[in-house]
Amino acid sequence: MTPQPHILVIDDEPQILRALRAILAEKHFRVTTASRGEEGLALAAANPPDVIILDLGLPDLDGVEVCARLREWTLTPIIILSARGTERDKVAALDRGADDYLTKPFGAEELLARLRVALRHTAQRQGSAQTTVVKSGDLVIDLANHIVTRKGLETKLTATEFRLLAYLAANAGRVLTHQTILAHVWDPAEVDQVEYLRVYMRQLRKKLEDDPHQPRCLLTEPGVGYRFAADE
Amino acid sequence: MMLDAPLRPAMLTRLHLSSGLFYASAIVAIAVTTGVLHLLRDSLGTPIIALFYLLPVGVSAMWGLGPGLAAAIFAFLSFNFFFISPFYTFGVHRTQDVLVLIVFFVMALAISQLVGRAQSSRALAEAREREATYLYTLTTSLAGLRTETDIAHALADHLHDILRPASVEIVIQSDSGTPPAIRRAPAELPPSAGPDHVVPLATPRGPMGEIRLWQTRPLTPPDERLLRTAANQAALAAERVALAQAETRAEVLGESDRLKTALLSSVSHELRTPLATIKAAATSLRSGDVSWESKARDELLAAVDEEVDLMNRLVGNLLDMSRIESGALKPNREWNILGEIISGVVARVRDQRHQFDIDAPDTLPLVPADYVQMEQVFANLISNSLKYAPPATTICIRARAQDESTLVVQVSNEGPHVPPEHLERIFDKFYRVTAADRVTGTGLGLSICKGIVEAHGGRIWAENLPGRFAFNFTLPLTLDGAPPPALPMETETE
Repeated sequence: MTPQPHILVIDDEPQILRALRAILAEKHFRVTTASRGEEGLALAAANPPDVIILDLGLPDLDGVEVCARLREWTLTPIIILSARGTERDKVAALDRGADDYLTKPFGAEELLARLRVALRHTAQRQGSAQTTVVKSGDLVIDLANHIVTRKGLETKLTATEFRLLAYLAANAGRVLTHQTILAHVWDPAEVDQVEYLRVYMRQLRKKLEDDPHQPRCLLTEPGVGYRFAADE
Repeated sequence: MMLDAPLRPAMLTRLHLSSGLFYASAIVAIAVTTGVLHLLRDSLGTPIIALFYLLPVGVSAMWGLGPGLAAAIFAFLSFNFFFISPFYTFGVHRTQDVLVLIVFFVMALAISQLVGRAQSSRALAEAREREATYLYTLTTSLAGLRTETDIAHALADHLHDILRPASVEIVIQSDSGTPPAIRRAPAELPPSAGPDHVVPLATPRGPMGEIRLWQTRPLTPPDERLLRTAANQAALAAERVALAQAETRAEVLGESDRLKTALLSSVSHELRTPLATIKAAATSLRSGDVSWESKARDELLAAVDEEVDLMNRLVGNLLDMSRIESGALKPNREWNILGEIISGVVARVRDQRHQFDIDAPDTLPLVPADYVQMEQVFANLISNSLKYAPPATTICIRARAQDESTLVVQVSNEGPHVPPEHLERIFDKFYRVTAADRVTGTGLGLSICKGIVEAHGGRIWAENLPGRFAFNFTLPLTLDGAPPPALPMETETE
């Protein structure tokens, strides 16, 4: 990770760009901005950023399209900015390679948290620090040894429950769509069986959350998927 | 005008045949009379015989002028030949007999003429009556019709029944810009050649369509009259339909104008209030009057944050409403756990002044619903309950499977009852039981709930319970006809 992470923001709203520039510069990020899709693609190629923040509603290209074209050559994390009520677009972008999304209007703290997650994943992928133990509150998941402990006590999980938890924990902080989870944990042929996911998530929450009705770790992303909230 | 040809070709042929028959009958009647009288010739006097001959002449005249006339002439000749001496010749010797013959002939002619004319004017009257009946049926069948297509259908079928043409086609233009209504009878394609007759449907605003008739036989005057009248009636009906449609459009526009005005006043009020707070807080913070590390600064920033959330919800409601109205709100129905949706919403919208009692057991079947839209329904019903329920009371949410195919959800609170006459209308846009300025909100929340529940195939209603007020809604438990899936089960391996 460079001492000053480089963020490319692709959004056509001047006021959003203005606000993001101010927020990110305050946190010592280096910021480049583009207001059109093609311009963003060119900038990403000319000066590869560490994270790309991408608005879905661009004047020239569809954000999902930009996402797909970026994924043809780079694994740089992409965080989607989108308006409320476009769950299908969010899912489409996530399935085409985006890493995360934020719904407008969003809070600065939320954005910075997502940026930290994205940068951590970049660092992990580059092999500098492969995480095998994920912590969230009093929950500890040892991915290598298949051990889950809660408040220091080992919790028994079924094989599927563990595969699901492990997949979520390995991608801690990122939103994972139903389809992605189903394809990884079950089988690519079963991506439409959302009910499996619902039921197993409920079981996991019962076993792992203090209050399964108000989960702190296994979070629902309405209409999109799930997110594992790990300790930073 | 003489109406000597009946309207329908089938009838024409029948009458043609029967008129030949009538002539023959007239001749036969005279021949029979002659035979009978010939047997009685010696006992009857010539004047009596002449009187008897008038009988078949009168009868024949009832079959028409022609048969009557033929009977009169034939009777005159037979009378002369068989009964006036010298017999079996047409010669007459006695002056008396000449007189009898002349009187007889005049009488026979007069009778056949009188009776025949009376008969044919009766036939004319009957034809007129038939025509009037057709028109009456046509007018009544056109009277209740509400669309151009219905009119075209009725008219085509009618004309086809009456005129029996090879083919008839009705074209009626519509005002609303849709393609013209076309109806053909019989339904198969008309002959490739152009129509033989075209009658426009003329209205005060110009032609609204036309009747096209394929019929090689020339139109008789009554046919033409019928066609013209049918065209007039159809034009009147089409005009009436067009006017009714215009009126409906005007009413809809008026209603949507009224709603727009209500929307604008509601929205501008609801948007301005948070904007005022935000503006005041932001300018105050920028002015430097508020010290950097003060409680006032935190208060102002919290106010900005909360007001922005409020505005965001408001804009969300407006968006949802416009999606519902334009039919763009298509639920993405997937199998969901209702309890998860409810607890998620309650965690987000709960306040410090009310308790929640949630009863959505794990044994409930999975519900095929759009997660985000269901969140919206619960959020709106709960926030409505929070608004009206007195502090320190409990808001109850319970879900039950009513039967194998329906789930019933109830969100109830200890708020005041709603007068029965308002129970239905509280789901209308901008409808409020209390004065608008006493309660915040756009007046859209409940109508959005209704829109979403109905888009899911369910029903929503409100009711007064003893000591409580409740919203109820149903959701179907089947997705594309499939029941809730069996839950996958697995035990711990270790």
